[in-house]
Amino acid sequence: MVDKALKDMTFEDFCRSVFNTKDTFHKPEVLKGIRAISTTQYILGPSCAAYLAELGAETIKVELPKRGEPMRHTTPFNEPFLYPLSRWMPEKGTGLGFFGANPNELFLSLDFHKPEAIQIMKRLAAKSDVSCENYRAGTFDRWGIGYRQFKDLNPRMVYQWMGGFGGWGPGRNRASYDILGQAQGGCFSITGWPKEYGGMPSKQTIWIMDYWGGAISAFNIIACLYWRDNVSGEGQFLEYSQVHGAQRHLTDFISLYGKTGIVAQRWGNWEPLLCVHGILKCGKSSYPNSKNPQEQEVGFCFVSAFKDDDFKKLCGVVGNAELAKKYPTHADRVGSDAQQAIYPALEKFAADKTKEEVWAAFTGAGLVSQPVWNSNEAANQEHWHLRGSMQWLDDPTFGDVQTQGVAYRLSDTPGRIKHVFKPVGADNEFVLSNLCGYGGSEIADLEKKEII
Amino acid sequence: MAESWRTEKKRPKIKVLPWPAIPAPTVEEVYAGVDEKRKEYSLWVESAVRQQFNADKPESLNGIRVLDMTTNMIIGHWCSSHFSELGAEVIMVEPVGGDPLRKLTPFGREEYMFTSKDGEKCGARFLAEARNKLSVTLNVETEEGRNLLKAIIPQVDVLIENGAPGHYDKLGIGYRQLSEINPRLVYLWVGQRGQWGPLKDQPGAMDPVAQCSMGFAHGTGAPVSFGGTPTRSGWWLCDQVGGTFAAIGAMAALYAREKFLGKGQFVECTAAEGVIRIIDYNWGWNGMDGSVRPRYGNWDLAINIYAVNPCADGQIMVGGGHDRLWFRIWRAAGKAKPYLEQHICEDPKLRVVTDRLPHYQQVETYTTLVEWMKDCTRFQCETALQEEEVASGGVSFLDEVCEFPHYKYRGHVRLLDDGEYGQVLLGGSSFIGQKTPGRIKWIGRPVGKDNEDVFRSLAGLNRQQLASLKKGGVI
Repeated sequence: MVDKALKDMTFEDFCRSVFNTKDTFHKPEVLKGIRAISTTQYILGPSCAAYLAELGAETIKVELPKRGEPMRHTTPFNEPFLYPLSRWMPEKGTGLGFFGANPNELFLSLDFHKPEAIQIMKRLAAKSDVSCENYRAGTFDRWGIGYRQFKDLNPRMVYQWMGGFGGWGPGRNRASYDILGQAQGGCFSITGWPKEYGGMPSKQTIWIMDYWGGAISAFNIIACLYWRDNVSGEGQFLEYSQVHGAQRHLTDFISLYGKTGIVAQRWGNWEPLLCVHGILKCGKSSYPNSKNPQEQEVGFCFVSAFKDDDFKKLCGVVGNAELAKKYPTHADRVGSDAQQAIYPALEKFAADKTKEEVWAAFTGAGLVSQPVWNSNEAANQEHWHLRGSMQWLDDPTFGDVQTQGVAYRLSDTPGRIKHVFKPVGADNEFVLSNLCGYGGSEIADLEKKEII
Repeated sequence: MAESWRTEKKRPKIKVLPWPAIPAPTVEEVYAGVDEKRKEYSLWVESAVRQQFNADKPESLNGIRVLDMTTNMIIGHWCSSHFSELGAEVIMVEPVGGDPLRKLTPFGREEYMFTSKDGEKCGARFLAEARNKLSVTLNVETEEGRNLLKAIIPQVDVLIENGAPGHYDKLGIGYRQLSEINPRLVYLWVGQRGQWGPLKDQPGAMDPVAQCSMGFAHGTGAPVSFGGTPTRSGWWLCDQVGGTFAAIGAMAALYAREKFLGKGQFVECTAAEGVIRIIDYNWGWNGMDGSVRPRYGNWDLAINIYAVNPCADGQIMVGGGHDRLWFRIWRAAGKAKPYLEQHICEDPKLRVVTDRLPHYQQVETYTTLVEWMKDCTRFQCETALQEEEVASGGVSFLDEVCEFPHYKYRGHVRLLDDGEYGQVLLGGSSFIGQKTPGRIKWIGRPVGKDNEDVFRSLAGLNRQQLASLKKGGVI
């Protein structure tokens, strides 16, 4: 129910006011009181735990002492780092590969090879609702800290295992990474330009199979918590296999193959289902004097005009009435030969323009269009900052940091970013004394023995 | 490691069903020669989560009712698929005549469409995300249509729409009005870039607008110096990622409603912002020094080796940034061409993991690696690398994916015997779990198939009323 003041606002003001991402901290958090352990590395597992942490779960990230997890040593071209890596290594920093996958978490360092560490894990498990784990399948079981041991300590635990190929089946011993999921799952094969246009199968720029796999696991975890708290009272074991994500994403291509034997191929920046609905190359750079080669490049601009009227308008803008006559209906335009004729004709119009000029011409005629923005242009859009999907955060450890916000907005119980991440072992004392009953000298002793 | 199920004959020459062309391996074949302890764990997991037992198990979202009123975009359908796979009752509310997406088929080819029992054709794109959902038609532009919607809203838990910003509000069926009727309603709006903010009024048509407006398309593809251009994803990636985040948002709202809030709320998620969330370090890096994320083709900016490179019959992925795997990769290459291993291992600039990341080091690494790979097939590379336990795999096309033994065995790709559309091959639910796994019961429904059932049972309409609404173009 909405109070009177909100009812009388314009719709946009109403949205701005209920979704105001600068004003989230006085609202309750969805997962307050839920505790999650994240014994994860790289992106797939950590991102899953991070999505829970955004919603307010107390998420304890467990990593190896001193150097932390491998993703901390991953950064583009070995250039940007956030310092320090840990209190033991102040001269080293955390690479940006760690960014975006670990916000809001508590950081505990633990060496699983020591028996005391196993004891600590069991104490944490007894008090936790969720465990996210992505060690090789069966490793935690062998160490005595897998689902089968945890469920005896805590039958309400939702235990999410994530990994490459899963714990069973012919490929279970294979190692996997995000791009293996993309490559072997089929994502590469339909992205990029066809061979005839000089292209190769291409990866998606993001670690999509990791980040998306984490998201779908987080959804499943919340659904299982819902089932636990409202229906059964029971936790359970969940498994997510990264390569599976690709099949889920490409399910329509799989159906097509099953029906017709057609193996979908790459179609570059055009769209097999619709025409015109593609990205055009523009002839001029928007920043010809820039020193950055990324900005000296010529621009690209997306345009969509698949309805007949829109296509006519588009042909008017590009000054090619012939085209509108030749391809009057969508059925005429969408065939592969027609597409190969139409897009180059449209690109002639763009050949002496920047992407902004092309965009202005198209939107001026009421068409859907969007220049291809690079990450700097996107980061400078007021839209994203206003909506909080990008934000400048006053991070307690690293100072001013530009970071992504929560992907979705909730009017009454929004997620929020509290810190981007912390150094390795930053919360050792808090977690061990709060949850495991260790005193100050015992914690110092654990540190001396390199258990934490 | 010996994987007896692997064969080089990966591309079966089949045209149509029956699938699979090569049977999936049996349990005995899969675990032959594995020591008892390891086998015990695998068999336990398999018994806990193998999908053939799904129908015996409960569903975690049973009892939730979702109205999916989105059209023209995949984001909403993708979102509601999460709920339908986990047991919620999802009703697709389409405009009279059906969602325009139903008509889309690659290159306009009708022969690629699926035909229902009564002869109605539907494209694969739409059908793939109609799983387990009911189909009703409703014209909310009419007064009667809106009244009918309001009549069933008290019985709905989640409503998903993607109208133009403020359109539903203006019609009197937005969050502000419907939450009066049903305070427990979770109302979710999905779209490309949002219903408020400076870009809201620039129309967004489907997914590429999102891909282009947040840096994704610019960053995908090869660099200019390699002959590349910005590239869009071959599938509607932003819609699908955004749809998953939308589902998390709606699920979180349901959880909060039951746990402490006692009421529903307004939820919003967009395709662009879903990908903004997951495009790793772009914003952090840009915030430090204004950096623009470059396109880097099939290599990775932040890990070396972590790439897909050409080989004799396609492309092969290999990954291993840290020392243990780094040296194993070169050992695999060195078995065929020892001078390559020597060249890399003797280079002092490549000894420390982070020192390998600058661009010129990556060029040196991959040119050396491809010197080995160019003479080997994907299968040979994969075999050599897997002997060293390095993650590697060929770039697979859809036919190879559908026949990959691991996927067949685990049900990632599966055949559904659908009541309307017959035998359909599809990507299975990714919700694999011990007690409440996801499942697929049917692939989809023809337009308005469930009009009578739904409107009778939720709104109490009788035969005459249904007929008159139908005549008036309301349903």
